[in-house]
Amino acid sequence: MAEIVFAAGAPHAPGLIGLLEAAPVDVKDIVATTYRSLASALTSARADVLIVFANDHLANSRIRAYPDFLIGMAAEHRGPFEWFKPWIGCEDYTVKGSPGIAAALFNGMTRRGIRMFAQNENLKFDDNISVPVQLTNLAGMGIPMVPVLQNCTVPPIPDQHRCYAVGEALGDFIRNDLPSDMRVALLGSGGLSHEPGGARYYFIDEDFDRWFLDLVASGDHQKLLNELTLEKMEAAGSGGTSELLSWVVVLGAIGSKPGKSFGYTVHRDFKCGVGAVLWDMDANLPKRRAA
Amino acid sequence: MGLEKFDPALAVHDLIQDLKWSVELRAEFAANEAAVLDRYPLREDERRAIETRNFLALYDMGLHPYLGGQLARLIFGNEAGKGATVAVNKLVESLQGKGAVG
Repeated sequence: MAEIVFAAGAPHAPGLIGLLEAAPVDVKDIVATTYRSLASALTSARADVLIVFANDHLANSRIRAYPDFLIGMAAEHRGPFEWFKPWIGCEDYTVKGSPGIAAALFNGMTRRGIRMFAQNENLKFDDNISVPVQLTNLAGMGIPMVPVLQNCTVPPIPDQHRCYAVGEALGDFIRNDLPSDMRVALLGSGGLSHEPGGARYYFIDEDFDRWFLDLVASGDHQKLLNELTLEKMEAAGSGGTSELLSWVVVLGAIGSKPGKSFGYTVHRDFKCGVGAVLWDMDANLPKRRAA
Repeated sequence: MGLEKFDPALAVHDLIQDLKWSVELRAEFAANEAAVLDRYPLREDERRAIETRNFLALYDMGLHPYLGGQLARLIFGNEAGKGATVAVNKLVESLQGKGAVG
């Protein structure tokens, strides 16, 4: 049985790279500590592959033909896509892919009734993949990545229940379809509260962010599924906060586990709250799945 | 202002995605915006809103806000801390009631 050895959720606001230098020292400290801690944990986990779920941000598909999940099957993942480079302020990177695991994921999810799409060509990456790749130096670690770009913003949006069910299928796929000695890392890339393109572009909902971070660190998935509604996420930042659904996929895969955060900070120019959670994969909590 | 007015049938969505996907189209848009707009089946009011940089009107028609933010960057600038900040501020100014910010 393959094993999930690392699971985390982290934001990917573009300002975390392009606007970081101008940020206050205390903000920079939390950003650095957060991603350095995630990178250290990922290295210690000795993962064979990192599967990243992240909001596609309408980067790859027409709005009238929009997949809910799009798997990147390329042998190498190169980014950021050209138009996003000055916006992110990100260096070019190349991360190893895993066409074999990507294909197995596509087939495994299809067999489990989960409609995903998959593409051999390099996907167009914006901050969704570029920020965690850059801030954790994933390319330097040499861990292959399988990106899964997710619909978090085009109605009808797969809600928290659907994303959790997708995560449960993902966990089942990892444990039963992948080679028994394989070590798998999972990252939900997105959030926290933000409203990209909205009238409240600079709005950050600190109360929501702190509530969310505490909740996902508690391991109480029943409460999460009952309360993390699309309506609640829209109120905390329309069109942006709902990319926390990528974290929900990861949570569905791992089941109830306690997590720890590395601090929370707000910087107006980031236009997004900053905080991550790393879940303890060695802990065993009673299963608390919503009925 | 969220997704409640979202109308995926609007042609402006395709315009924005084509612009971000094509360096050549962006250059042509900058040099001769009207010629680019002519190729898309835009409604009259939709085209007028693009030309006058009236994001508020576009959102009322059903433009997806995420692409609205990208349209602002395509028009006003896309560089972190520079043109992209101008774009955000122009967009917010329009959406908070000013309408046309061209």
